[in-house]
Amino acid sequence: MLIVYSTLLMTILGFAFGTFLAYAAKKFEVKEDPRVELVKAALPGANCGACGYAGCEAFAKAIVAGKVTPDMCTPGKAAGVAEKIKEILKQNAAS
Amino acid sequence: MRVFLILFSALLINNYVFIRFLGICPFLGVSKKLDTAVGMGFAATFVLVMSSVITWFVNKLLVVSGLEFLRTVSFILVIATFVQFIEFVIKKNSPALYEALGIYLPLITTNCIILGVAILNAQAKYGLLEAIFHALGAGLGFLLALVIFAGIRERLELYELPKPFEGLPIALILASIISMAFMGFQGLIKL
Repeated sequence: MLIVYSTLLMTILGFAFGTFLAYAAKKFEVKEDPRVELVKAALPGANCGACGYAGCEAFAKAIVAGKVTPDMCTPGKAAGVAEKIKEILKQNAAS
Repeated sequence: MRVFLILFSALLINNYVFIRFLGICPFLGVSKKLDTAVGMGFAATFVLVMSSVITWFVNKLLVVSGLEFLRTVSFILVIATFVQFIEFVIKKNSPALYEALGIYLPLITTNCIILGVAILNAQAKYGLLEAIFHALGAGLGFLLALVIFAGIRERLELYELPKPFEGLPIALILASIISMAFMGFQGLIKL
């Protein structure tokens, strides 16, 4: 019974806070360069920091800003992430 | 009257940074510049006050349903929610501060002051008003500690230090000296 109650309580709490955060995220949305999202989606998302940035998001921002080349991503090298990102940047450069 | 006693005891006498040595990570991490220190202090104060209000109710709920062992988990959940919330707000309203705080902003979640205050509130069985004043005192104490420390560190930049003391070592020595100074507040309130 204890397990059921504690699971129930944590589920309710988690759901309530999640709803609040989802609402807040919409309300305080910041318009970002849409290319950052695309590049971030192409990255492995491991947040390993091998590129020298704090995480994949920071790295994606730096790529879009033109500060680094996309080949700095070590874990994504085998999967050809750098080529994919270059493709994304080429396709969306005009917009 | 009792609430002000709690406020000042959390602010000065039991200052969370200098006397209880909680929250040292952001204290050393973001105290290089005065404006980021102030931003961090207010962000932490906001999270502290809001989370202690919510955790007060959550704790009541836990006690009623006999699930006190979930205290830490549920408190962390509340704190993480408010940290995420303030991250949205700062990102929207002050991108410069967002960039300057960097990783230390999400790390407020694991700032021991916030969990510490929430748990101490629960252990001391404070009422809601007392809990709020305790959190406010702790937050302002953290702000005070950061501002004092950042002010000194900004001036230290201008002086030439012996090589081994540059950066963190001198900061830790400074922290110990200020902490000794804060012990002077121990005699402020006579019970």
